[in-house]
Amino acid sequence: MQPVVHFRNVNKYYGSSLAVDNLDLAIEPGQFVTLLGPSGCGKSTTLRMLGGFEMPTSGEIFLDGQEISQLPPNKRNVNIVFQDYALFPHLNVRRNVAFGLELKGMASDAIHKRTMELLSLVKLTDFAERMPGQLSGGQRQRVALMRALAPNPNVLLLDEPLSALDAKLRQQMQIELKSIQKTTGKTFIFVTHDQEEALTMSDVVVVMNAGRIEQMGDPHTLYAKPRSRFVANFIGETNFIEGKLKAVDGGLAAIEWNGSVVHANLNGHGPAVGSTVAAALRPEAITVISEKPANTIAVSGQITQRIFKGDHTSLTVSLANGQSLVAQLDPVALSRVTGDDVWLTWRESDAVVLAD
Amino acid sequence: MRSYFSDIPKTALQASYWLFVIYLLLPLALMMAISFKDANFVAFPIDKWTLKWYAQVLQDRQFLEACLYSIFIALMTTLFATIVGVWIALLISTEGMIARSVIFALACLPAVVPGLINAISMRIFIRVLDIPTGTGAIILGHTVHAVPFVVIMVLTRLRSMPNNLVDAARDLGADSFVAFMRVTLPYLAPALAGGMVFCVLTSIDDFVRTFFLGGYQTTLPMLIFAKVQGGMSPEINAMATLVLIVTAAIGLYAEHLTRRSRTR
Ligand SMILES: Nc1ncnc2c1ncn2[C@@H]1O[C@H](COP(=O)(O)OP(=O)(O)OP(=O)(O)O)[C@@H](O)[C@H]1O
Ligand SMILES: [Mg+2]
Repeated sequence: MQPVVHFRNVNKYYGSSLAVDNLDLAIEPGQFVTLLGPSGCGKSTTLRMLGGFEMPTSGEIFLDGQEISQLPPNKRNVNIVFQDYALFPHLNVRRNVAFGLELKGMASDAIHKRTMELLSLVKLTDFAERMPGQLSGGQRQRVALMRALAPNPNVLLLDEPLSALDAKLRQQMQIELKSIQKTTGKTFIFVTHDQEEALTMSDVVVVMNAGRIEQMGDPHTLYAKPRSRFVANFIGETNFIEGKLKAVDGGLAAIEWNGSVVHANLNGHGPAVGSTVAAALRPEAITVISEKPANTIAVSGQITQRIFKGDHTSLTVSLANGQSLVAQLDPVALSRVTGDDVWLTWRESDAVVLAD
Repeated sequence: MRSYFSDIPKTALQASYWLFVIYLLLPLALMMAISFKDANFVAFPIDKWTLKWYAQVLQDRQFLEACLYSIFIALMTTLFATIVGVWIALLISTEGMIARSVIFALACLPAVVPGLINAISMRIFIRVLDIPTGTGAIILGHTVHAVPFVVIMVLTRLRSMPNNLVDAARDLGADSFVAFMRVTLPYLAPALAGGMVFCVLTSIDDFVRTFFLGGYQTTLPMLIFAKVQGGMSPEINAMATLVLIVTAAIGLYAEHLTRRSRTR
């Protein structure tokens, strides 16, 4: 399938500082794609280049196979939802949503019909005559979304649209956004620095760091098989296991970790035997048991910290080899207390070797 | 609530304020009072009251013509000053720091140069360029003086305008001209209204520039000045009172408009 959006070797400099570094990104139509990364990593710049508000320093951007990188924003069939909504303060809700349709030269009764349809999609028909200043944050958010959807763009861009909302409303809007994306079948490109939001909503997550793509994939893959230390760290909580690679057997690596030998999934990487490697291990992949298991590798240690977090309990275990691991227990295992001696074990494929 | 000079009794501060207000309003009140006096000379006490001076003023062709002429000049001044002022403000808001302050300083110079100097230099200037004195020259002079006020008001408003409003308009299909007309201009509306009223009022009020640049036709201030030279009479008071009431009403209404848009 032809990608709906394709960045090809795109670089963006502001003066001499590089904001986007040789970006190569193809996005399939109809997907909910999230650009995820820490502040300043170039997410907004990427989005603004697609919207037409910044021009790439070099490289090309294609929309539906057409090269658009030098076109002005009004000549591109994409629309953007800004972080602070940017509703026109002098126009009421209805006129805000109708703005793009009016500029398309649509007949006024057709505009009215479509505007009202869109407003009813987000239950705002009763607010059609209100001014933006008379709306709550969530309502403004919905108006901005509908205004951007009204001209029927190929791709909808959303730059941290939920960051100004409180936690509860944010969750509700996440669900609403996702369902609007599903019903309209449009490609959404969503920017956030909140990893949980990215995992909840996306079909594809693009993790960015310092202007480059670190890893791209579906949320589950990103979580279970982070490619780099950055991704493992940025998404969820992780234990790092570092040591010398002793042997490689099929897809598995045997790592000598401060005296104990543990196994990890090579995850497609090919480090040389004898080199130092790191593997990531999610706390919830660890099983905590009281006795040494008979036929799997396990490490022993003592619980030094126990933090109750409601739906789970987090244990810090100091291991006999001098390292420590964080394990996560479900609430039934409430009986584990600080000071207990335990054995930790995990499925070999749940620890994954990282690129760096 | 903060307090200053707290060791001086508060009543002293209040008393000095009221003294100032009296000083401000008393001359106006006297002027108004005498406009109702039924006698040919300006003095107190007023024994008999009348509206005849107002009737006379409103039938005075000279006065009405001067009014119309002043209003015409004021409107033309406002038109030009608004266009130039908005243009300069937009230019300033897109320039870098240094260029910005230079342009701003130059544009605002006419607001601080003494009116007399401004008027004389303009007179010499039009003489050099062979522009005749009269309506065109007056409008030019008034416009130069009015532009800074428009620039300052528009610039202040522009500064509070979110950056991405124009981006949003462009995104929804507007080219840069349409975005300006449909988003920037409406956003600036309260500042424009305030600036325009200011232009009208300063132009109508202007005496010095008009005096140096004017032709044979008299504007309102020049007419009143000529009448005063011919001797004070309550008729002049009536004229002045009318001007005062109309201009104050316009000014207060404009204030009300900009205040409302600011709180919205
Ligand atoms: N107009 C600009 N002029 C100069 N530098 C800029 C400009 N816009 C962005 N940058 C720089 O480019 C880099 C990427 O910025 P960008 O706004 O894309 O980051 P971001 O990932 O969206 O961050 P955030 O999560 O904080 O919004 C940053 O280092 C930023 O300082
Ligand atoms: Mg950003």
